[in-house]
Amino acid sequence: MANVFILDNGAYTIKAGFSNQNEPRIMPNAIMKAKSERRRPFIADQIEDCRDASGLFYILPFQKGYLVNWDIQKTVWDYVFGKDVFNVNHSNTTMIVTEPYLNFTSTQEALSEIFFEEYEVDALLRINAGDLSVHKYHRDRPRELCCLLVESGFSFTHIVPYIQGKKQKDAILRVDVGGKVLTNHLKELISYRQLNVMDETYVINQVKEDVCFVSLDYNTDMRTARDGKQANHILRDYVLPDFTTIKRGYVRPLEESTGKSTAGEQLIRLNNERFAIPELLFHPSDVGIQEMGITEAIVHSINKCPEETRPHLYRNILLTGGNCNFPMFKDRVFKDVQSMAPDEFDVNVTLAKNPSTYCWRGGAAISRSAHFPEMLVTKKEWEEDGFNICQERFSV
Amino acid sequence: MASRESGRQKDASSRRILDESARRRRARKALEALEQDNFHDDPHANLVMSKKAPKFEESLDGSRNKDRKRRTRSSEYFKQRFRKTFTILLEEEQALYPDGPNYLTVQAPSSKRPERRLCAVCGFPAPYTCIPCGSRYCSTKCLSTHEDTRCLKWTA
Ligand SMILES: [Zn+2]
Ligand SMILES: [Zn+2]
Repeated sequence: MANVFILDNGAYTIKAGFSNQNEPRIMPNAIMKAKSERRRPFIADQIEDCRDASGLFYILPFQKGYLVNWDIQKTVWDYVFGKDVFNVNHSNTTMIVTEPYLNFTSTQEALSEIFFEEYEVDALLRINAGDLSVHKYHRDRPRELCCLLVESGFSFTHIVPYIQGKKQKDAILRVDVGGKVLTNHLKELISYRQLNVMDETYVINQVKEDVCFVSLDYNTDMRTARDGKQANHILRDYVLPDFTTIKRGYVRPLEESTGKSTAGEQLIRLNNERFAIPELLFHPSDVGIQEMGITEAIVHSINKCPEETRPHLYRNILLTGGNCNFPMFKDRVFKDVQSMAPDEFDVNVTLAKNPSTYCWRGGAAISRSAHFPEMLVTKKEWEEDGFNICQERFSV
Repeated sequence: MASRESGRQKDASSRRILDESARRRRARKALEALEQDNFHDDPHANLVMSKKAPKFEESLDGSRNKDRKRRTRSSEYFKQRFRKTFTILLEEEQALYPDGPNYLTVQAPSSKRPERRLCAVCGFPAPYTCIPCGSRYCSTKCLSTHEDTRCLKWTA
């Protein structure tokens, strides 16, 4: 049996590894340049060698969630497959590669060509990341018939109903808010209100991950944040890294959030930003994106499915992707959806364990399933039928 | 005479109001900024690198590697073969599958909920609208910050 390598090729991070590993390695899907080390580009996880990440500049292969910059992507893949990382022997490897929903046909063709002609893999499965997640979900819950997948990543959030394992393409919805918009907006707010951090994407992304949470009661939290010092339990000071003594930024606990720097460290204060940023996932119109938020879109998408499937979909809402790591994300989805769902339906929301790598583990699971060989296109088939056989077998 | 003239001018400029298309342009620009993928300009674009150090472009096409020829060719090949912008890809797909589902058809429709009114300065709920530009503000303090920093000072 050939090795199976799973490449969950995200627009911001790659989750990669052989199917017999427990967890994938996560690394930036990017080439980065730092102010501190001008002479050296950092590819993917080489960024760990970078001691000063201030002003870090990203060159990403993806734009708006779709692969467009092939030479950057190829450079990153060559590194990931190469001897410094996984040392993949492609000729005896089955490759699973993820793609975004409704990937462009010409990109699908290019992907097939690169993996068969350039890397010369033994067999290929191109598949939506969400299909892998849902496979895993059903494997863990074999009695459930449907799954409503929420995949919230860097570029956007997709809402996709699956009925008996089959995705309902006509009911897919895309909300154009993902981690990128959140980080960009936080950067903008801090820069306008406190300190110019427009060039500090890397640092502000960490700030976002460290301090933001999803509000369960927006109006109350707004009142609390506006309140005087005593009652405001939301306000926090954040110590920015200086990359000499402070390698990584961190939040000060509430009682130490005095707004005063004690040893010359640089502070920013986070107040309503802490929940107003993730709130964009639920109210894109807060920044002028005229679309439904995630929970409204969940209900809208379910209503596009056959009536008899709806109770099953409400009962099997699965949350995956990096944004689901915000504290209270799951509770908010549950609260909103329950308030909008018909009374007779039970709502059940599952937060994937480790939402960033759930899909990759789905890939590992699928590679052990009985149907796996039928899903693949082999090198021999590619040589005979080319892209046609890929289009027949893969559905993205 | 001269002073009356300038007084009138000043009066006119303080009553300047952004028209609908300027407001839309401004909103679009703000959205584009949020959508930015590559975040900010290359800080080293103009730096002259030491000759000994490998240059970015070189390590990109693998010219430091031993299998130099093949990798250089393939990198160049793929660049040529797959040089399509997002816009071109989108147009192609639209032509292939005009009825969808495709990228355009799956975009979530607009929300049925009322839009929130948030202060353009501090982000708290804002009951007032700035007459010249249409931004929201919550207090006279935020209004004056808004006037000093953005409002009509942005040229969009
Ligand atoms: Zn205000
Ligand atoms: Zn104004």
